Amino acid sequence: MAKLILTFNKQVIKEYPFTKDSISMGRQEDNTIVIDNLAVSGYHAKIDKLGGEYILTDLQSTNGTFVNDQKVVSHKLSHGDNIVIGKHVILFVATEKEKIEGEGKDKKLPLDKTMLLDTAKQRELLAKQKIAPSTVKIPEKVGVISFIDDSGLGEIELSKKLTKIGKAETSEIKLSGLLMGATAATISRRPSGYAISFAGGMTKLKVNGAVVKDSVPLNDFDTIELGSYKFQFYQKEVKSA
Amino acid sequence: MLIKSSGMTDVGLQREGNEDSYSVEDSYGLYMVADGMGGHLAGEVASRVAVEIINKSFSKWKEIQAPPDEIFGFPDESLSPEGNYILGSIRLANRVIYEMASEYEQYNGMGTTIVSLLVGPGRIVAANVGDSRMYLVRDNRIERMSKDHTIVAEHVEMGVMTEEEAARSPLRHILTRNLGSSENVDAEVFEIEPSNEDLFILCSDGLTDLAAEEEILKIALKEADPQRLTRKLIDLALERGAHDNTTVVTVLLDQVEKKRRTSFGRLGGLAADALTGVNRIKRKFGL
Repeated sequence: MAKLILTFNKQVIKEYPFTKDSISMGRQEDNTIVIDNLAVSGYHAKIDKLGGEYILTDLQSTNGTFVNDQKVVSHKLSHGDNIVIGKHVILFVATEKEKIEGEGKDKKLPLDKTMLLDTAKQRELLAKQKIAPSTVKIPEKVGVISFIDDSGLGEIELSKKLTKIGKAETSEIKLSGLLMGATAATISRRPSGYAISFAGGMTKLKVNGAVVKDSVPLNDFDTIELGSYKFQFYQKEVKSA
Repeated sequence: MLIKSSGMTDVGLQREGNEDSYSVEDSYGLYMVADGMGGHLAGEVASRVAVEIINKSFSKWKEIQAPPDEIFGFPDESLSPEGNYILGSIRLANRVIYEMASEYEQYNGMGTTIVSLLVGPGRIVAANVGDSRMYLVRDNRIERMSKDHTIVAEHVEMGVMTEEEAARSPLRHILTRNLGSSENVDAEVFEIEPSNEDLFILCSDGLTDLAAEEEILKIALKEADPQRLTRKLIDLALERGAHDNTTVVTVLLDQVEKKRRTSFGRLGGLAADALTGVNRIKRKFGL
């Protein structure tokens, strides 16, 4: 069985055999390895045992996690690695069997295979993270278009993944005008962010003054013109429930 | 709208079995790639079950135009009915695989990724769970239409890791979500408007592990025929050692109906500009 040896000033404090699939390290008392030092975050780092590999992950700690003097976010541990957290050093010791396996079949790591992280454990840790002062969660944002013409339409939140703009009754944003297309333009939310596309009709679509014939990504405060309509795009944070 | 599509899978050079599954359904415009995991034959079973269930439930709901609240799970208000059919079908597939995995010993721990593309008139729905990807090639650019559910992707999103670091990380194959490991799953769903000559590439990580986005784009720009493009992408993975099963589905859209400007249209455009001008003047003078 692999083990971790916690040391401080070259003095061994305690040994921790790797009996579970996951070991957490931090200042809070419910960690597997509790390190009571102000340089250490509440939930500082964790090590997961995955298919015979030991993976160290820094949990967005304030002062970082180091392995053999290199700052790491995630790291596959090898026998003899020194994990430095604050002023504490944790030595990783693999079993004889794991040492041999690690050297022998370096090319055929089981990690090459796709596998699933134990999500329950991860969620638990992430949930705890929220309490920590440095929040990990990226705030959810939603796009808004704000009319700056005299149409009096005000602000409209883009609550759909695909917003159709045009004359058709089924449009999410209904605009009038003799030459307005049934669907004149669409705004879609994609993995990389929002984008606007010209969809049809005789009314030109312009973004920041340039005519758009296909699609362009939207950035905050881009000005969009559709015939006589003029509006600005921006994103605002959604207050999560 | 015309759709040209092609799908192909290869076991690769190092694996004994092929745990990937794919599906190409031009009749209702649904395309999928699934990458299964789990011992013995479980991975194969998981990916095949996912593809079959999604095909069945989507086509049924679509046929009877099922109201959103009759699909599996709560509908997502931000999606179209078709988007919700896809979302519900993925949830259903997850539940079935989850039940199978917990019921039968030989299926314990099985799971699969899924990436699906729905091509409908006026709307494209892209959905995924796991690390199988979808790319859109449009206007000589390549854009990801899926979101990886891996530890490293989360690190990239949090800004603590770059894309390059993520591609090399030993953790890159560790998923944070898949179909089959928990009772409920959240899929990533995106909707966009189709455009002429849109090319979609769906693939398992057998390809994305060995080919960068720019390389895929380069090949896609040179090869317009979906069948030959699919072959070329698979060959690229094979040339580079293909340590994993590799699956590619390509879908090319043509004659997407967009009201093109006819001579009448051009006249109309002039009139529109004139009207816009009049409005501008009106506004200027406070009329």
